[in-house]
Amino acid sequence: MSYMMYVLLFGLVLGLVAVASNPSPYFAALGLVVVSGVGCGVLVSSGGCFLSLILFLIYLGGMLVVFAYSAAMAAEPYPEGWGSWPALRLMVGYVLGVGVAWVFLGEGWYEEDWGGFDGLVGVSVLRGDMVGVSVMYSSGGWLLVVGGWVLLLTLFVVLELTRGLARGALRAV
Amino acid sequence: MTPAHFAFSSAFMLGLAGLAFHRTHFISALLCLEGLMLSLFIALSLWTLQFDSMNSASMPMILLAFSACEAGTGLALLVATTRTHSTNRLKNLNLLQC
Repeated sequence: MSYMMYVLLFGLVLGLVAVASNPSPYFAALGLVVVSGVGCGVLVSSGGCFLSLILFLIYLGGMLVVFAYSAAMAAEPYPEGWGSWPALRLMVGYVLGVGVAWVFLGEGWYEEDWGGFDGLVGVSVLRGDMVGVSVMYSSGGWLLVVGGWVLLLTLFVVLELTRGLARGALRAV
Repeated sequence: MTPAHFAFSSAFMLGLAGLAFHRTHFISALLCLEGLMLSLFIALSLWTLQFDSMNSASMPMILLAFSACEAGTGLALLVATTRTHSTNRLKNLNLLQC
């Protein structure tokens, strides 16, 4: 149990190795699901339960679902698997790269560095990160207005990009 | 460099390498971009949690909102590419090829 953070951080890096060396977009989406789940574990081990919940709900349940069914546009009858030579070569190369970086940057890592550090309020309903996010609503009100404006603008950008009536043929996609 | 710092930094570098060296599909590059945003979210959240700086807890939320905008725009580009080129393979984007 004391090695939980160790396992989670390993899972984070290996999951992104899997995303970067994906043979097919389905495996990249699966790798992203695994990475976000493990990332939630990392955040919970460090005491940030609200941010972990936000990651699960908004990122995994909102954005990755959209990516998963958009991966249907990349459907091919015989997708490559992990055992195909280019994917394996990339995966081994990325793992070796991370290992080399570990050798150069990993001095002074003792056993207690791997534990999750929960230095916030000891036992309380109001966790630190939740209180910190609520600052966004009080002092950061203008940031919320700007963020809302950016989201509205993005909606119009997307509508303009996918408007195929006058410029592209009206296809079934 | 602490282990958590090394973990999300190498996760960011791996996502960047995947975005730069993607081979066949456009959506693979978009998924590596999502991996970049995820590693940045974890980095900003760990900044808040490990340094006890509660004021910066709004940073990962704003990052998530803007990364949702970017993901939506990327997928709209994917749809537009599939509409005009009938596939999202990168070899088909060869208009400027000599």
